[in-house]
Amino acid sequence: MPPILEARDLTKRYQLGGEVVEALRGVSLTVDEGEFVAIMGPSGSGKSTLLQLLGGLDRPTSGEVVLEGETVSKLSDEQATRLRRDRTGFVFQSFNLIPLLDVTENVALPFTIAGQDPRNSDLAARVRDAIEVVDLSGKQHHRPDQLSAGEQQRVAIARALVTRPALLFADEPTGNLDYTTGSEILDALWRSCTERRQTIVLVTHDSKAAAYADRVCFVRDGRVLEEIPLGRRADHSATPLISRLAQLGL
Amino acid sequence: MRSLSSFAWRSLRARRVRSLLTVIGIGLGVGILFAAQATNASIDRSVDRTVKQLVGRADLRVSAFQETGLSDTTLAAIRGTPGVAIAAPQIERRAYLQPPLGTPPKPPVTVLAIDPGVDPQIHDIAGAAALTAAGADALVSQRLAADDGLEVGSQLVIQAAGEPVTLIVRGMVPDNGPVLGGFGRTVVVGLDIARRAFGQIGLTRIDLAVSPGANPGAVAQELERRISGEHYVLSTPADLGVSLRASTADFQATTALISAIALFVGAFLIFNTLSMTVAERFREVGLLRAAGTSRRQIHQIVLTQALILGLLGSAVGLAIGAGLALVMAGYVRSIATIPIDVPATPPEGILLSLLVGVLVTVAAALEPAWRAGRISPVEALRARPEAGSAVRARLRWLVLVFAVVAAAGLLLWPNRAGDPGPLRALAVYGVLLLVTVLSPFLLRPLGRIAGLPFALVLRAEERLARGAITRDPSRTALTVGALTIGLAMIVAVGGVAQNARHAATAWLGDVIPGDEILTSITPVPLDDQSPVTSDLLVPGVMRLTPIATFGVAYQGIRLDAAAVVGGDMLADGRLRFVEGDRTSALNGLDSGGTVLLPRSLADRLALGPGSMMRFSAIGAKSADLRVSGIVERGLPGASGESLIVGWSDATSLFGVAGADFFAARFAPGEAGQAGRIVLESRARELALEPASLERVEGAVSDALGQVFGLFDALAVIAVIVAGLGIVNTLTMNVFERVREIGVLRAIGMTRRQVWRMVVVEAGVLGIVGAILGCLTGLVAGVLMLGLVAAGGLAIPLELPWLTMALAAVFGVAVAMLAAFEPARLASRISIVRAVQFE
Repeated sequence: MPPILEARDLTKRYQLGGEVVEALRGVSLTVDEGEFVAIMGPSGSGKSTLLQLLGGLDRPTSGEVVLEGETVSKLSDEQATRLRRDRTGFVFQSFNLIPLLDVTENVALPFTIAGQDPRNSDLAARVRDAIEVVDLSGKQHHRPDQLSAGEQQRVAIARALVTRPALLFADEPTGNLDYTTGSEILDALWRSCTERRQTIVLVTHDSKAAAYADRVCFVRDGRVLEEIPLGRRADHSATPLISRLAQLGL
Repeated sequence: MRSLSSFAWRSLRARRVRSLLTVIGIGLGVGILFAAQATNASIDRSVDRTVKQLVGRADLRVSAFQETGLSDTTLAAIRGTPGVAIAAPQIERRAYLQPPLGTPPKPPVTVLAIDPGVDPQIHDIAGAAALTAAGADALVSQRLAADDGLEVGSQLVIQAAGEPVTLIVRGMVPDNGPVLGGFGRTVVVGLDIARRAFGQIGLTRIDLAVSPGANPGAVAQELERRISGEHYVLSTPADLGVSLRASTADFQATTALISAIALFVGAFLIFNTLSMTVAERFREVGLLRAAGTSRRQIHQIVLTQALILGLLGSAVGLAIGAGLALVMAGYVRSIATIPIDVPATPPEGILLSLLVGVLVTVAAALEPAWRAGRISPVEALRARPEAGSAVRARLRWLVLVFAVVAAAGLLLWPNRAGDPGPLRALAVYGVLLLVTVLSPFLLRPLGRIAGLPFALVLRAEERLARGAITRDPSRTALTVGALTIGLAMIVAVGGVAQNARHAATAWLGDVIPGDEILTSITPVPLDDQSPVTSDLLVPGVMRLTPIATFGVAYQGIRLDAAAVVGGDMLADGRLRFVEGDRTSALNGLDSGGTVLLPRSLADRLALGPGSMMRFSAIGAKSADLRVSGIVERGLPGASGESLIVGWSDATSLFGVAGADFFAARFAPGEAGQAGRIVLESRARELALEPASLERVEGAVSDALGQVFGLFDALAVIAVIVAGLGIVNTLTMNVFERVREIGVLRAIGMTRRQVWRMVVVEAGVLGIVGAILGCLTGLVAGVLMLGLVAAGGLAIPLELPWLTMALAAVFGVAVAMLAAFEPARLASRISIVRAVQFE
């Protein structure tokens, strides 16, 4: 079965002042359907840039990204936007909810943007379902400022899941959260992966978060230094990952 | 401090477009203020010059109350009064000049007759020395000379009630000559010439100078004791100045109000600009605070920015104002009774405009400066600023700016003792403030209504846009407030204009018993010898009603009066009765001994049917007339509505010499149309000026429209300033939502959708502003109607639907146009940068 996502020899260069910065230097990787992959690396390693290219938020300087057989990096801005809307979901570090919309409206936003009426029974059921997955059923009419940080991030996850995307990208989703709340978020992601076969690409610098993944790609200086297969484990112990990283001197 | 100043300057330069928009906004506000001052100064100067030209060195003026004029006995009595050094009599009448053969007649001229032996001692009429009392010499105004191609040595023939008098032009008097009105067509002659031309008529006025050391007040008292044979009006040059200023007082008052409002709107713009700067530089300010910059220094940075903006804006405003003043002076010329000078730039006006511009700017900057000073370094360096709820502080600020601008407006207000105008203007202004203060609470429900039309086609964009406008309700309220105020002024001025036009035309239709008006420049006697009436009753004319307008003295005050034929009014169905029996009251007018009062006058004097009124009559007698009815409106008089008397009382009691105009009612159908043609031709032969009632109504309506047009134009400027504010607010909203917009783009919103979202946001703002503006404009309009009605014209309220619709469309269009640039910025936000944006 072909991979759902494939990155081929991606490079990304930025002009910063008078200097050229190479954020990515020939990254290739694949993600299979239903897989939970973590991209891990220290700050400034290029992991977020890689996620932006994989998710079609930005274009590579060279190389290509293929999502479900479609070359994302060759799409026009409009086509890339539609692809993001219909086939991917994003969760960011700062929950980025629309403060003036309640939980249901925030979760239904991708439908609203697509010009669909989220009150339509099928879509409304999907919104309810996504809210249920993140365990916020009792708070669907709360506004973001009435929710805790963890709850806000769970709403962001529900919004990313509601369109049943082929791929969910999460960029440091626990970065702004304490340990317990971060664990709840990772649990929610993991559940969606195991129970709904949701493919997930998680970017993190935290080995505890990365330990939830089936496979960890370690990035440094714009390159994937190592791919560490962890397998699907219910205990999410970070020990195997930390040991392996220590072995590799990372 | 030097480096802090440069920090302020650099901060403004970093946002050049925004700074430029703000400078233009302040400039427009200050420009209107300066133009109003320059125009008012020009009016004052013109009034002073005219008074000096008319009165010369006279200390007192005795004017005839009745058309018959003052007698030589009165002149002798004045000259014999102790303390009177010189008494210069004048006659002022209108007449036609005989046109050269084969040329159409020109408009009438004003003939000013003087005593050449005495007059130069009081008045400075150029060339008066060339005249003699009885010599066939004349001086003509430069305007008349230019109009009729006259020059020194030319011959002219005066045609009036007396014998035609042929005169030789001996000199020119500057401009319009030493008289008011009359379109500047003035002929100056000796007294005897006037008496030959007009018959044995009385003196129009006697200007007198008191002896050195004599007290004019004491002389006036002595005059009142001595002149007992006829009615007169005793006035001082200052009284003349007051009455001349009165003709432009409403104009000055309204421009003062509108300029204050434009400045107020400008203050919103400044406030929003500086708030944006503070919000954008949140981190920077935090860093400065962390590095040891004191709160006071932060205040100084923001206030220095305000000072720079205020000075630049005020300087731009002076340039705009100078141009605008020229336009305004042109409008004043069309309504004033005196020639108005080209507006100069009074130094105190320049200083005041600069001062008010800078003061308003600094007042508008106080709250942002205070807010900047309160930024905590820890908070600023930790996270992105969250728009806090500063509603109360901003509303306090608004009241402060309101006070500064109100004070500036009052400084500009025309100075009239006991004038209720400033209070009414403050009430108008207060209503605008109230709406702005209330608008944060109205935003959500009104936004919901305003979003409906957009939601039908752009659901997502509308929902997000509507949310955005309630993100910072006080800032949005200030933006909507500015738009509301501008639109309210358009609606209010349009409403007042429409009501005034309708009232004026309805008034004429209600009281004039005819389709055509035939005006005479001199009273047409109605005795049996006069051929006029019979000559005008041509076939097709059903009815010909003579009407005279004059003044009567009642309890020491002058009231406008009109003489009519009661039977004609009855037959024609004119005059709407509020109280009293119509038939008996109108028939009673013709029998004599009764008077009809317009409702406004009856209310003012607290009189009703059956009340007796004692008037001063000719021959120093008094006449008692019984009020037989109250009518909705009287005939138009010199300063308001006239009371109505019958012809017999007008001639026997008040000395009315004849009709000032005739109202002709035509028979229906073709007979009437044919009659109109014959009547107009016959009227011209009899030196009467025919004009259809529609034309008169049209002329009144046009004149009102012209004046109100200027006020509308000034209100449009306020809306444009508000538009600049919308650019700022939307840019700020976009800036605050960079990350949110980035996320929306990330989850699938297209650039076009983002663009539409911002434009819809502006559209919602525009509709909210239009709703509030129309409603507020109606309230302000009612208050402004009171301002106009204070002048004597009672105006019923009528909703200005067309103006409201146009104002709403204009407001929404300005708002949406203002959104284009912020929308472009929003649609170009980079997703990658936006989601990293902290």
